[in-house]
Amino acid sequence: MQTTTQTPPTSSTELSDYKIVPRRHYGRLLSSLIILGLLGALIHAFANGDIEWSVVGRFLTAKAILWGLGNTVLMSILAMILGVVLGVVFAIMRMSSNSVLRYVAKGYIWFFRGTPIILQLLLWFNLALVFPTLGIPGVFEARTVDVMVPFVAALLGLGINQGAYTAEVVRGGLLSVDNGQYEAAMSIGMTRLKSLRRIVLPQAMRVILPPIGNETISMIKMTSLASVIQYSEILHNAQNIYYANARVMELLIVAGIWYLVVVTIMSFGQRMLERRFARGSGRVDH
Amino acid sequence: MSFIVQGKSVVKKFGDFVALDHVDIDIENGEVVCIVGPSGSGKSTLLRCINQLEKIDGGGLWVDGELVGYRIAGSALHELDDKQIARQRLATGMVFQRFNLFPHMTALENIIEGPIQVLKRSPQECREQALELLERVGLSDKANAYPVELSGGQQQRVAIARALAMRPRLMLFDEPTSALDPELVGEVLQVMRDLARSGMSMIVVTHELGFAREVANRVVFMDAGQIVETGAPEEILMYPRNERTRGFISAVLN
Ligand SMILES: Nc1ncnc2c1ncn2[C@@H]1O[C@H](COP(=O)(O)OP(=O)(O)O)[C@@H](O)[C@H]1O
Ligand SMILES: [Mg+2]
Repeated sequence: MQTTTQTPPTSSTELSDYKIVPRRHYGRLLSSLIILGLLGALIHAFANGDIEWSVVGRFLTAKAILWGLGNTVLMSILAMILGVVLGVVFAIMRMSSNSVLRYVAKGYIWFFRGTPIILQLLLWFNLALVFPTLGIPGVFEARTVDVMVPFVAALLGLGINQGAYTAEVVRGGLLSVDNGQYEAAMSIGMTRLKSLRRIVLPQAMRVILPPIGNETISMIKMTSLASVIQYSEILHNAQNIYYANARVMELLIVAGIWYLVVVTIMSFGQRMLERRFARGSGRVDH
Repeated sequence: MSFIVQGKSVVKKFGDFVALDHVDIDIENGEVVCIVGPSGSGKSTLLRCINQLEKIDGGGLWVDGELVGYRIAGSALHELDDKQIARQRLATGMVFQRFNLFPHMTALENIIEGPIQVLKRSPQECREQALELLERVGLSDKANAYPVELSGGQQQRVAIARALAMRPRLMLFDEPTSALDPELVGEVLQVMRDLARSGMSMIVVTHELGFAREVANRVVFMDAGQIVETGAPEEILMYPRNERTRGFISAVLN
């Protein structure tokens, strides 16, 4: 089917006589049309379905919803901080030359990755059944039910579970840093721990951050599980409202909109952070 | 006569493999010793034992008069902890074959990191010292460059400055020019030559026999984990007595 010869023209001016015809992306065009069609159908269904859009608009900024939104964001941030701190600590323990520390870290990761998060939330929330009181005998003591309020149980459940996953992410990051970096750090008199903190961890961040970003985004959504232990995050509050007014779809849409808003903002933040830690890598990702 | 390094019957094993086989070595203060020998003969391992990146399995090593890795108390040797080992390492500076600069820090930051973080000296003073060191290695204009922006030769010179910033008593060089393009070898050797002239004690593992001949006070030939022959440069490099030394030298020269 080749009609032209493939021999190069004798001068470059000859080549500039040709007109360049861009490639046609027929596939892209077709798939765009199909997607637009489906989207149209979906919008049509929602517009004509039994959905009061005015209710959506009204509840979008309702006090209980905004309060729940605040709780969702707060819990996501706190649980993630707890998770990252635990993750770094357990990753370092997991790589320690001390075998006791190593096995403790392995056990932690094994247990908290091996059981469903919802089970862990229920365990913390019902801790009073095993330990009726908490504290250090003689110093201070409290009834477990007073301590394990939904907020605390959710924070411990989500944060400690997150720590188990983050530990593996951090460990992968630490392993990605060349061993020569530890040696160089130690050769200028740093202890192992200081080498980790000053030299290795900052370099590992480039590998650690993208998955942590992903996990933060999934944490925002995972906080909704805390509704089973009565933590009043946004989905829990939306449910409470629709139990009363039966506007199920409207309130689910309200919650959905807010989740999308928060996740979108988070994704921007993630990109900024990743740029910061690309320092000296000679590469800026877009 | 004082020694910067004394090794008595040093043994290092990796599993069953004996990497250092009863090595005896004495190095005087201010001496420049070049170690030559075939690949796998234990040259790097010896340097790494001296600054405790590896732990020896037998014999004893003294650096700057201190027993390496242990504290003597009565008739017992107590193993040192991480902090004490880090303190002992301050006596030595190490330059690696693959530079190992910290890639997330500029040349200047690489140099001031140790003095500030480990020696707790004032940032202002460290910065001034770093600029002097950069000038000494001919890189005054590269203070704010990241390692990726530097050539291999420039990176290695920054690495030398980084080690010197800790004011070590002994500098260890593990094949500092082996990873360099041929045209960049000279600039690094020049910095090392200047350093040797300044009176620094140095142990240099190298295949640059010309450098060894010119700069070293003594050349040590290693093979199979042992020191086979040691002596003045012209003795070892031109009139080696040992069969293995002779074979190695002629192989490197051809
Ligand atoms: N960490 C290690 N584990 C096992 N074997 C090692 C290790 N480091 C070095 N060796 C072995 O010890 C021997 C000496 O190595 P090295 O000191 O690096 O040699 P050289 O620097 O003279 O080329 C080699 O056979 C090498 O394979
Ligand atoms: Mg070597």
